Amino acid sequence: MFDLLIKGGTVVDGSGAPGFAGDVAVKDGRIVAIGPAIAGEARRTLDAAGRVVAPGFIDPHTHFDVQLLWDGAAKPALEHGITCVVPGNCSLSLAPLKAQDRKSLVGMFQQIEEMPPEAFTEAFEWTWEDFAGYRDAIAKTLQLNVAPLVGHSVIRLWVMGADAQQRAARPDEIAAMQDLLRQCLEAGAVGLSTSFVDVDENGHPVPSRFASFDELDALCAVLGERGRMLQIVPEFYATDITLARVDQLAELSIKHAIPTTFSPLFDSAATPQNVPRVMARVEEQFARGARVWPQMQTRPIDISFSLLRPSLFFARLPRWVRVLRLPLAERLEALKNPAIADKMVEDAGPDGGATMFAELVVRGGDAAPAALAGRTLGEIAAERGETPARALINLSLEHGLDVAFLAASRGHNATDRIGAMLASPFMHIGASDGGAHLASFATYGDTGYLFSEFVRKAGALSLEAAVKKITSDTAEIWGLKDRGLLQTGKAADIVVFDADAIGRGVERPQFDMPGDGMRYVRDAVGVEAVVVNGEVAWAGGAYTAARAGVVCELN
Amino acid sequence: MSAQVALTAVQAQPAPGLDDAVVEGAEIVAGHDGAAELLVRLRHGNGAQSAQSLDAETAFDLLRAAGAASLDGLVGQSWRDLIKEL
Repeated sequence: MFDLLIKGGTVVDGSGAPGFAGDVAVKDGRIVAIGPAIAGEARRTLDAAGRVVAPGFIDPHTHFDVQLLWDGAAKPALEHGITCVVPGNCSLSLAPLKAQDRKSLVGMFQQIEEMPPEAFTEAFEWTWEDFAGYRDAIAKTLQLNVAPLVGHSVIRLWVMGADAQQRAARPDEIAAMQDLLRQCLEAGAVGLSTSFVDVDENGHPVPSRFASFDELDALCAVLGERGRMLQIVPEFYATDITLARVDQLAELSIKHAIPTTFSPLFDSAATPQNVPRVMARVEEQFARGARVWPQMQTRPIDISFSLLRPSLFFARLPRWVRVLRLPLAERLEALKNPAIADKMVEDAGPDGGATMFAELVVRGGDAAPAALAGRTLGEIAAERGETPARALINLSLEHGLDVAFLAASRGHNATDRIGAMLASPFMHIGASDGGAHLASFATYGDTGYLFSEFVRKAGALSLEAAVKKITSDTAEIWGLKDRGLLQTGKAADIVVFDADAIGRGVERPQFDMPGDGMRYVRDAVGVEAVVVNGEVAWAGGAYTAARAGVVCELN
Repeated sequence: MSAQVALTAVQAQPAPGLDDAVVEGAEIVAGHDGAAELLVRLRHGNGAQSAQSLDAETAFDLLRAAGAASLDGLVGQSWRDLIKEL
């Protein structure tokens, strides 16, 4: 008897091959049969008629390190069809870490993830120092699979203490880091992450940024002992420096026989040559035998702001800039001054700011009434009998300026260009940042957006190619054993979805972080069931009690 | 990731001999972290072009240093002179 039988779907197996009508049978966490009309009984059957049955999606760039300690599903990632996440990116992981260094790391995590402080004091008991201890702590309640990176910054912190954020390492310290990295890899780390741009909560560079090239080279030698991944955050805002990092990664990849990946890489109308130049260099380096995988996100970039802080969104309105750069008390007084406010509205244009402001969305999750969340400023202004510019000022004033506005899809938004980039065989789809930027924007639903925008709307990728990109390609790049394919003998990580509907829900605030902390999320659309290691983890719009996730084995 | 876009970008300036860059243009772009950023286009003395992204705080300081009331006021100014003021 099978444990699970998924019947009557279109099997898109992750290899890129055309989908075919068939059933998928599962036993003991593994796929045991795939084919038409599989005979036999099962303890549970899922009807997949009219639906796609595919390998679970793999998200290679997340920051779920902390959340996994109280939420083994990394919600809402799992319900979007994600069955495996890679946390520990950007040089930061929760282990190895000595107890006395926890405060330092928490500050860095809060800067990157925007996680409320209660997440570190109330949501879990911090019992570990080494990587194996962290692995064991999350493994107890995993609902999805995890392939954790170990962070270069915490390795430096362990070996060098406070000096990690002040200087290059001595040879003896580099040797100690090598030993420590080796222990982490033995304990299940999928690789090492480092960053050339991140900062802590005080704006100081994170420890990895003080490393010499010799240090990185020595650590990559350890990665090379097992062929494990090096992930970096390059100076992505400068094309020429990113090109230099691509070359550097290529040298490390060839020298140590390791895969490397970097993120983010995104397209911009302001710098249209950025991605083409970087991809040309990537292709050159692949031709030399290097493995340098750029990661590109599918979702467009939104701009968000409130009047609590000066934003460059108003840079073309000098009077607004002058007022918004005033200290808070003076700013409030200025905005309340009718003469000044009238001038600001006047500056916004003869249409009362309709062109510039009407499409802004009130985000919610702040001091604004919840009923306004998700509505456009143009709609709200019309109800109030005000121009959009006046409504922006008054609505903000009524709530102590704590009203967040969103200008949607202002970057990385040229679907025709980005579709071709995502389809490139040298592009690794990822960089979701899942679990980070909690109070700034939702980092969920990128896989759904891949299908809705680039498969259905643009036709840039076939359904099969898109599935391959986020399943078997990812598993192969990262060396995840038995993941990413629907084949007999492989792990039964499966997603059942409606190819005509899969997408991402609207962004909305949700107060489910420790300490009633707020984050922005997106609900899944069109995903009907998610299976992790043979157990149904999500179906019919609800999570199950299954806890079948594991820390991934590696090739 | 949380990038220190501002000063890192400024410090990553070209080698001596290319330090006579002037601002050719400036525009607001969507930054990776969901904030508006200032993209400054530079033309160097040898004809090469490059771009620098600045976060809000640094960009406003740059406008102040330039004595510019708007983005257009940056055009034609010496990049080296501007960043000395930051």
